[in-house]
Amino acid sequence: MKTLVKPRSLFIGLSALCLLATWLSLALGPVSLPLIDTLRAALRLLGIPIPGEGLEQAELILGQIRLPRTLLGLAVGGVLALSGVAMQGLFRNPLADPGLVGVSSGAALGAAIAIVGGTAFGGLPEFIGPYLLSLCAFLGGLGVTALVYRLGRRNGQTNVAVMLLAGIALTALAGSAVGLFTYLADDATLRTLTFWNLGSLNGASYARLWPLLIVTVGVALWLPRRANALNALLLGESEANHLGIDVEGLKRELVFCTALGVGAAVAAAGMIGFIGLVVPHLVRLLAGPDHRVLLPASVLAGAALLLFADLIARLVLAPAELPIGIVTAFLGAPFFLYLLLRGRH
Amino acid sequence: MRLSTRLITLCTGLMISHVSLAGELPQRWVSAGGALSEWVSALGAESKLVGVDTTSQHPASLKSLPSIGYQRQLSAEGILSLKPDILVGTDEMGPPPVLAQIRGAGVPVEMFSAQADLASLEATLKHLGRLLGNEPQAAQLFTDYQQQLVQHQQQVKTVQAGHKAPGVLLLLGHAGGKPLIAGKDTAADWLLTQAGGQNLATHTGYKPFSVEALAGLNPEVLVFADRSLTGEAARKALLKENPVLASIRAAKNGRVYELDPTLLVGGLGPRLPASLKQLTAEFYPAAAANP
Repeated sequence: MKTLVKPRSLFIGLSALCLLATWLSLALGPVSLPLIDTLRAALRLLGIPIPGEGLEQAELILGQIRLPRTLLGLAVGGVLALSGVAMQGLFRNPLADPGLVGVSSGAALGAAIAIVGGTAFGGLPEFIGPYLLSLCAFLGGLGVTALVYRLGRRNGQTNVAVMLLAGIALTALAGSAVGLFTYLADDATLRTLTFWNLGSLNGASYARLWPLLIVTVGVALWLPRRANALNALLLGESEANHLGIDVEGLKRELVFCTALGVGAAVAAAGMIGFIGLVVPHLVRLLAGPDHRVLLPASVLAGAALLLFADLIARLVLAPAELPIGIVTAFLGAPFFLYLLLRGRH
Repeated sequence: MRLSTRLITLCTGLMISHVSLAGELPQRWVSAGGALSEWVSALGAESKLVGVDTTSQHPASLKSLPSIGYQRQLSAEGILSLKPDILVGTDEMGPPPVLAQIRGAGVPVEMFSAQADLASLEATLKHLGRLLGNEPQAAQLFTDYQQQLVQHQQQVKTVQAGHKAPGVLLLLGHAGGKPLIAGKDTAADWLLTQAGGQNLATHTGYKPFSVEALAGLNPEVLVFADRSLTGEAARKALLKENPVLASIRAAKNGRVYELDPTLLVGGLGPRLPASLKQLTAEFYPAAAANP
């Protein structure tokens, strides 16, 4: 098949882009560090023993603020884009995004419960208090997705259309519950809730990073193994069945990976829209619909795109910063429209 | 001439000794909290502020300082880029991981209570005075403040002996549209009660109200705090967006008054006693006319 870019050059290009984004994300920030200091501090962080006088500030900013933030951006961007591919493959519809199976609305509901009800569980043990929000968001996302999946199943078969509609219904239901919590919230919690819904990589710490990194690496290694099955599913469910693909198993895996990946990403960074929708599109546009290329390329593209969006979010208003969801939607929505209109000609 | 030269010498000498004394004290301040920034300024340290959050709107000159964003959504690197010696804020400041990062970078983070009561204010002023090396002035400010409030309370008591407390509602809105009514457990409720009014709303927090319910309560006085308009423009917008309001007593008798919405956040601020006095005068016009 003829594509705009050969897979090989696509991977080289995207890897370079990813490296560039990583470097910029480490080198740029509201605190301006001399390039040479950033380089030396980065080398020292990598464990290369070079003299470190006068590097305390650079090492601190790089090691404690920018590095965890960059890793968080890579993981969140990668796993969101990957989930987008999984959902678009499952629904065989390029307009699908991870929100369709209810993971986003479930996570939002979990977050609302944690933020508004958080004071009610005031007596939580010390080790769980700071993670309550992440935990509730993750469990909320997983729970609602499990429900949507369960509703779509009948006689051992998963009906994707029923699942889609169940997802829409449960999203509306979760939305009304979030609305109720919004009504009950006082001014301060209301703003926390609003900001959470816009996402942010701000305040990334290693403690929050590890669970997400593990999930991301797991999903990123698992899904590409199913690339051929996803390709077969593009032909239709019964066709894929005739080709010897375990379609039911595939659906289960796709839904599970999406719930896990998006749940973990949302728990770590709040809601970040449009990456899961736009990135797979972008890659398909460049390299065609073959999932063997689409899956790994989307990881790279999603990671790079999110890091660039985060750079804008933290630099444009410095010393304050924008929620990243504003940036991704601001860039993503016009691009999506462009794709739609372009397809008509 | 000679006298003035001596005076200048004396002043310079005093300033120098003051500076050397202040050598240990934090010189570059970042403040996340409206009332706190106001108190820092009231203590004569406005020039030490190098960044403030979006709730710091008074004095107006603070708006020209770099903004560190909303107090609950701070960015560690953004704040560090201002090279602060100290970050002060209320206990609403956050998120906690960012505060931990700032502390980790060696910048002390000082938290103050946002509670609207005199005990918290005393602690806040004492702490600020110590950090600014200006304890006597801070103590004086607190004594004056307390005195003003106590005096005001006595006035309210005297007035209430002769007049019934008016039923009041406080509306918080944007350009008049869809106002929220201040209920119990809000700074607004505290303010209304303190000024001698009786808050007719019985719910907790700020909640939207149907205009019909509002007309049913028929308050004698309406106080509005508008976040985007001020003065006559805000009053007009409020009545235009909510025509039913024109039928209630307060509007008929021209008793619709304005309150600065920034008074409602971040604990007791320095502008509060004056506003309380004004509110009381508006609640009891007869008593204000012949005291």
